[in-house]
Amino acid sequence: MSSRIFKDEGLVIRTRVLGEADRLVTLLTLKGGKFEAAARGARKMKSRLAAGVDIFTRGEYTFHRGKTWPIITGQYPKERFLWFREDPELYPYGLYLAELADRLIVGEEACPELYNLLLGSWRLLGKSGDRSLILRAFELKAAQYLGYSPGLHNCPGCGSEQIRGFGPGEGSMVCSDCWSADFISLDSGTIALARRLLEVPLHQVVMIRPSARQKNELSRMNSAFLAYHLDPGELKSKRLLDE
Amino acid sequence: MVYPGALKKLVEVLCLFPGIGPKTAQRLAFFLLGRSREEVVAIARAMVEAKDRLTFCEHCGSLAEAEQCDYCSDPKRDRSLLCIVQEPRDVLVLEQTGKYRGLYHVLHGALSPLDGIGPEELKLDRLVQRIEKLGLEEVIIATNPNVEGDATAGYLARLFNPLPVRVTRIAFGLPVGGDIEYADELTLSRALEGRREM
Repeated sequence: MSSRIFKDEGLVIRTRVLGEADRLVTLLTLKGGKFEAAARGARKMKSRLAAGVDIFTRGEYTFHRGKTWPIITGQYPKERFLWFREDPELYPYGLYLAELADRLIVGEEACPELYNLLLGSWRLLGKSGDRSLILRAFELKAAQYLGYSPGLHNCPGCGSEQIRGFGPGEGSMVCSDCWSADFISLDSGTIALARRLLEVPLHQVVMIRPSARQKNELSRMNSAFLAYHLDPGELKSKRLLDE
Repeated sequence: MVYPGALKKLVEVLCLFPGIGPKTAQRLAFFLLGRSREEVVAIARAMVEAKDRLTFCEHCGSLAEAEQCDYCSDPKRDRSLLCIVQEPRDVLVLEQTGKYRGLYHVLHGALSPLDGIGPEELKLDRLVQRIEKLGLEEVIIATNPNVEGDATAGYLARLFNPLPVRVTRIAFGLPVGGDIEYADELTLSRALEGRREM
């Protein structure tokens, strides 16, 4: 991003009020990674930028490198994930993924896998299917793309395949012999579920039919794993998701 | 640049205003220095008085100089209509249209979990109680046409569903004075959905 004017395709993952009529937009872009850009006058009714810089939008953006932030000078929305703004039940799911992506990605480094993962997950959430499974698959796959892939097959202590549960600090499944009190016990179905979610393409995730117990266990496992290794902090959208 | 102490302090204070940078603050400071003492005192007094006397109406949350605002205490207002807005200044804008004569309710924000604003922060339980107490015919949701505003509207519509009241959302459309060719496709599609017979 050395040129003063540059273009990129991006997903709007957060917006904040900036000054009197501007918006500060957090974008996850295909080529430039995650960064913030200012959309001047985007809060005005007649702004030509307004409609393209709202969260849950995929667009082609033109930027001018400013002193503090890049300035968005042009936008062409390519896709709007309208289900998040029209359905109050879906809104927290889309927001959770946006917030998690914002927290997990630190700098302006391109990660097209993560970009496509968020794009695919937002699309999938607009269709029927188990939404919580899409979130769990996103968490596991995002960690993998960031280089923190959880070990789901062998115990890292002894190499055993007789798995009892998950050690968040180890970032791996653990056997009974290497067990510690703060590890998370998992049903064999949950272990298989975690493996499948990480292995299958995202669009196949909604075909899996796990039990409520397996989903609860996986949710605990993912939360503990992410908290230990990627430290996303307190996710504010989770409160709305849990309600 | 070396300012005299009092001027430096004035510029610093003026910089606290939204959208005012050091250059504009300096211009404003020199404007004030060019006025008579009486005028400057009147400006300062107006600011302090506004801060001291204005509060939020305990019923609707809009700006008031007493416990009840002018809208809530006006017997001529249509008490079967309630318009829900995000900010007190939205009330002033709606009043300027001269088309609405009902009551208001100011949320003081919109659902925005990432900014820590949830249903509790918006005191929605009080709003539901107020709707039940007023025995309204219609509630008009006039939140901003962005994701937070739409999500809030959707949440409110679901919340009011069990209540015996008609729930509507203000229409979306093209801004007056603009050209259609410059309108984005979302605004245009919503304008088409909300078209009316002529």
